[in-house]
Amino acid sequence: MSAVNIWERMLNIDRRWIFLSIGVISIVPFLTKIGMPVSTTDEVESIFNYVDSLGKENAIFIGFDYDPGTQAENTPMGVAVMRHAFHNNVSVFLTAYTPLGHGMAGGALDYVTNPAVPGYYSRVDFSQWADLRDAGVTDKDELVAAWEAAGHELPEGSSGWVFEGRDFAYLGYAPLFYLVILGMTASIEAQYHQDANENPLSEMPMLREHKSLREVDLAVTVSGSSACTAWVIYGREKIGLPVAFGVTAVSATDYYPYIQSGQIIGQMGGLRGAAEYEVLLKEHGITETTDKAFTGMDVQSADHILIILFIIIGNIAYFMGGFHKQKSLKGRG
Amino acid sequence: MKRTVPLMIVMVGGILMMVQYFIPHQYSQAIFDAYVSWAPIIAAFALILGVGSLTRVHAHKIKRKSQNWQFSWAVLIPLYAMPILAHLWPVSLAGGMDPPSAFHFMFMHVQVSIQSTMFSMLAFYIASAAFRAFRAKSALATVLLLSAVIVMLGQVPIGDLIGKWFPQIGLWILRFPNLAAKRAIMLGVGFGMLATNLKIIFGVERNWLGGAGK
Amino acid sequence: MYETIGIWVGAFFTLAIYSFLYKENPVYRLAEHLVVGISLGYTMAITYDVVLKPRLIEPLIGGHAWILLIPAALGLLYITRFIPGIAWLSRYPIAFVMGTGMGVAFPLTMKSNVLRQLEAAMIPFYQSGMPWHVVVGNIVLVFGTLAALIYFFFSKPHKGPFFGTGSKIGIWIIMLGFGATFGFTVMGRISLLIGRIQYLLGDWLHLIE
Repeated sequence: MSAVNIWERMLNIDRRWIFLSIGVISIVPFLTKIGMPVSTTDEVESIFNYVDSLGKENAIFIGFDYDPGTQAENTPMGVAVMRHAFHNNVSVFLTAYTPLGHGMAGGALDYVTNPAVPGYYSRVDFSQWADLRDAGVTDKDELVAAWEAAGHELPEGSSGWVFEGRDFAYLGYAPLFYLVILGMTASIEAQYHQDANENPLSEMPMLREHKSLREVDLAVTVSGSSACTAWVIYGREKIGLPVAFGVTAVSATDYYPYIQSGQIIGQMGGLRGAAEYEVLLKEHGITETTDKAFTGMDVQSADHILIILFIIIGNIAYFMGGFHKQKSLKGRG
Repeated sequence: MKRTVPLMIVMVGGILMMVQYFIPHQYSQAIFDAYVSWAPIIAAFALILGVGSLTRVHAHKIKRKSQNWQFSWAVLIPLYAMPILAHLWPVSLAGGMDPPSAFHFMFMHVQVSIQSTMFSMLAFYIASAAFRAFRAKSALATVLLLSAVIVMLGQVPIGDLIGKWFPQIGLWILRFPNLAAKRAIMLGVGFGMLATNLKIIFGVERNWLGGAGK
Repeated sequence: MYETIGIWVGAFFTLAIYSFLYKENPVYRLAEHLVVGISLGYTMAITYDVVLKPRLIEPLIGGHAWILLIPAALGLLYITRFIPGIAWLSRYPIAFVMGTGMGVAFPLTMKSNVLRQLEAAMIPFYQSGMPWHVVVGNIVLVFGTLAALIYFFFSKPHKGPFFGTGSKIGIWIIMLGFGATFGFTVMGRISLLIGRIQYLLGDWLHLIE
């Protein structure tokens, strides 16, 4: 067997061996649990610091502007920001650019309020606190005090109460969402008469304090496509709404111009960006542990090393086999 | 009626909305508000096109018993079952209680699982492509390759452990040369899009009319 | 119980899709078809819930907002696409949504993606206290943007000191940018795989937390 044949055979290896190696390398680090430290970057810190500066008189939008295909990257971002906002008693509007994003927003809310998930928030549905609302109790501190005085005890392991209509409003999807953003610069209620659970927005305390996007402090768009740019073009440029991005790694490099121009305050790029936010939450004592994004970073490291090895080996075989002198290389499978 | 009226609608609508931005008078705002409430209703009906086309294609396949026609049922049944499960017959899966429902189940456990797995398969293909196609054939290709490798290592924790300069160089590439390239592309796309918008609004570009009825 | 069955079904379909990596098979094909139907079916249900019901049907029935019959009629014209003789009527709603959409987008896109970008490209190379790598970066940023723009300018041949050298520098800058994008693309794809492995090993098999 000549030397050239070895290189050719190497380059024509059945690609299922490559698939298998990626599969194995993606499983092992989960079992070994090394937990390599993740350093944070300015792009993510600026979002964290901005949200951290907000309090109970503020409100943010989290746009779940992605489909299930990219949920592994996007959902941890939305979850991390939502937890941060809930911790600071910031009111959160949840919207979606696409119909499938509607389900993603609901899924993320369910996750943050799921008692089986560590550090969850205890959810109080809109109808459950109607009496307190009718009595005019809408300030968060007073609301919690009145709710607990009514005999409700915060369950063990819960991070706090979140009241539908005061702490969050699940608005969901609307078509031609760029128009909805424009419309919300004048009135949120004019665009959404009711939330996804059919609760009327007119009766929600958070809508009384934040009638339009002009009275909202930040929009974090968690996006798997160019949908995020709509928040910049129609929200930021129309009324100066502060916008932050949480985007998939594939599109993250495209939006650095927006960061440098100051059109967005920061960006979480891919799972790494979400992991950075989780690390910041833990470092600041907002959550006790990191979540799925951080856990995945060991695997990310291992897979990157493997793919770089593939590139190096592929190039060695290519040049050692003298294929750079040929016009084409026969491929297989 | 067939071509002139649509072209007029595009022109009048386009100019009206452009002017509205520059003249925020109460009348123009009132027109804009009406438009914002109308447009989503009109756009929602566009879904009929998607549903109609998909139904037609798969009904045809079933009727003609084309290759793999049985799988067309796997498209048509959930297509019409989902709205039924959501509204007409919202079956609960929690022992007669409220949600979780069959509709929720189909979305969260079938749709989400399939779609996210389909996207994740690209990890395998990109690894294969890295081995077979990513070659330092020329100086430019080498620059692309080195930039990719540095950024890849800079973005993961192991890059920090190999050398602190990996993430720093990676971030420098992202914040400066990458930004320059992406801004040039953004400007190019921006100018192109604006020019196309104007061409369509003023009826210079008419391909969108298609061939329906000529 | 609901969650457990759901996770088992999810795991089944996850493995069904991954089975394609070995070989195409009927289970994969079934999953592939299901996702198309469910996705559009879900969209139909949500569109009715969040658009047609609250924005059209309820205002019509409850508030007698008859004016909304105009957008409804316009929207219904989409159906004519399937009727050969009057298919041209479907151009009306398309024209309305497209024309107005472009008009709305024009000034704001111009401001956001053109004017702001031009403004942000004009930065001082050096300010006191600026580290050297930022100064070099600023120079790369300003001249790199200009060079990359020259590369994309096809109305003039890329020859001579301005267009020739400019476009050569431009392509180097673009390659650095594309390299970064490739690196991030790899990262993104791996992240999606990580999500599914977390699902299989954690939610399904409980091997990890």
